[in-house]
Amino acid sequence: MIVNAIDVVGLSWQLERQSILSNISFSLPKGQMLGVIGANGAGKSSLLRCLYRYIEPTSGSISVLGQDIHGYSSRAFARDVAVVLQETPAHFEMTTSQLVAMGLTPHKSWFEFTNQDDKQHIQRALQQVGLEHKANQDYDKLSGGEKQRALIARAIVQRPSVLILDEPTNHLDVRYQIQILELVRSLGISVICSIHDLNLAAATCDNLLLLHQGHCVAYGSPQEVLTQTQIASAFGVSCEVQPHRQTGKPAIQYFYGYQPSSATIKNVPTPKSAAIAAGQRRSHGDA
Amino acid sequence: MEMPNAATAKSKTMHSSWAMIFSPLSAQAWLFIALLLLVIITPVVAASYGAADLPMSQVLRILLVPIVGQDSAVYLTTYSFMTPFDSTHNSNIAERIVFELRLPRILLAFIAGAGLAISGSVLQTVTRNPLADPFLFGISSGASLGAVIAMSALSVLGLELSGIGGWLSVPIGAFIGASAASLMVLGMAGTNVNSQTERMLLSGVAITFMFGAMTSLILYFSSPQATASVLFWSMGSFAKASWSSLWMPAIVVVSGIGVIMAMKRQILAMLAGDETAHTLGIPVARVRLAMLLLCSLITAIIVAHCGGIGFVGLMIPHIVRLLFPGRYPIMITAIAGGLFMIWVDVFARSLMDNQELPVGIITSVIGSLFFLIVLRRRRR
Repeated sequence: MIVNAIDVVGLSWQLERQSILSNISFSLPKGQMLGVIGANGAGKSSLLRCLYRYIEPTSGSISVLGQDIHGYSSRAFARDVAVVLQETPAHFEMTTSQLVAMGLTPHKSWFEFTNQDDKQHIQRALQQVGLEHKANQDYDKLSGGEKQRALIARAIVQRPSVLILDEPTNHLDVRYQIQILELVRSLGISVICSIHDLNLAAATCDNLLLLHQGHCVAYGSPQEVLTQTQIASAFGVSCEVQPHRQTGKPAIQYFYGYQPSSATIKNVPTPKSAAIAAGQRRSHGDA
Repeated sequence: MEMPNAATAKSKTMHSSWAMIFSPLSAQAWLFIALLLLVIITPVVAASYGAADLPMSQVLRILLVPIVGQDSAVYLTTYSFMTPFDSTHNSNIAERIVFELRLPRILLAFIAGAGLAISGSVLQTVTRNPLADPFLFGISSGASLGAVIAMSALSVLGLELSGIGGWLSVPIGAFIGASAASLMVLGMAGTNVNSQTERMLLSGVAITFMFGAMTSLILYFSSPQATASVLFWSMGSFAKASWSSLWMPAIVVVSGIGVIMAMKRQILAMLAGDETAHTLGIPVARVRLAMLLLCSLITAIIVAHCGGIGFVGLMIPHIVRLLFPGRYPIMITAIAGGLFMIWVDVFARSLMDNQELPVGIITSVIGSLFFLIVLRRRRR
């Protein structure tokens, strides 16, 4: 029997009687990358927080590598699952290599110091993310993309089987958005990652999970999930989906000037009329 | 003025222009050597100050005798660059002054300073609050209240303070008070990361006032004699230091530092935020609670033995962080705190003739100015 990296069955989470996540089920096969997409407040971060045990779901079961996550000790769990979050607190006075060295934490018990092997490991991780020249710089002084790469290096040092990333491409230049996701893919471990940019998600993920108001409205390959109607209902935008010229994955073009009315999809303008409108606007912009 | 910047900039310029003189040692290595020299010089200088002025060469000889033997000590100190041995002092009395009065006092000051500096450093890390300090968080006032309750209970029961009940019940009372204060501060902090620093400081202020009022109330109903002695104790002093009372603070502070060094990785990970620390396998709430209680214990023992000495836990970790950026050196913080405390005590003993000032007053004057400077820098 093949063991999946993550199995989620019937996951629900309620906060003060309000349902944040309801009845979500999916699996992440080993070595694959799953993108979690959805509008702001759809429950992406909450879902990930359930996965790394930061919040306790109301019902449902989550297994990592075939074992229920409640069966893990804190340290054992951190050795299998690494997490890259967006926030770092203010007054974070550390150098890049010190931050990366924090990935050793779950592998070290009391009084265990950083040895030569660990130092090599840190060095390799920094090389892997292309930050070896910034090792002794203050983490606070790195650019947004470099910070994100440093956090991924920390996760590499953690040597996990599963990597969870919460919007790793936020606030980054396009170049770094692509770079970060391709870097994560190249690690060859199982990845679950929330992504805002649908084109990026389509191009880099094996499977996508589309959340809308805490419900899973679509789950499958990018082609299955990123359809015009599903994007319209989950995000309230009108768009046209075509195969990407290079990857063949769905490529999305949004139409502008669209007024969504109460989240129904009846009023979606035909792509053609919207395209004409968009074309007119574009030519205005060019002039 | 962004100090870490200035520090790195300084080390860079040092690299280029002073490289010829200072190579191959870095600026940090020089700082380290300076600290080491201070560790060696401080006890000798500190032991020569006091009611009876002893020449440093004599103090050095007295201190060297048990280490290198009588003859070499005489040889080393007689032919040293210092003033030659002054035979007007009876060397036997001088020896007793150094060993029975000054050395325990210096050690107690060192232990207290080290313990307070480490407590401040750990509190600042686990609460991610750069203004955390046992004094500002109300932990010291909680310890004071607990100690005063224990002291007055002893006097009501007619027990001696120096008896077996005294040396145990006062520290225990202080620990209960200190723990109550730190748990209240933690409970009041809330979960909103942005307002935690302010909430913790404000609740610390409120707790300090509340516990201070209760202490005053107890003192109001005590005998004038007891009030005077408690009042002097609460201002902080190492005057009562003796070898027989030194072991308890020594054991608590040394083992506390041991635990902190053992858990350094776990403590530092909390700097990255609770959620990140959680993902690194750290039981955040439990570690924070354990560290608060450990700091309460260290503070309580120091308060029970030396009274209220404020702001050391705020100043020393800040200065060490500026001098050794990005390293979090636990031993250096402890040593720097200890040395600072010894020198404050020397200052307190020698500022006025025939009179000692309470050390708590001196640290509070320096510390409150330091606090204002830190606050000003943070606002930018």
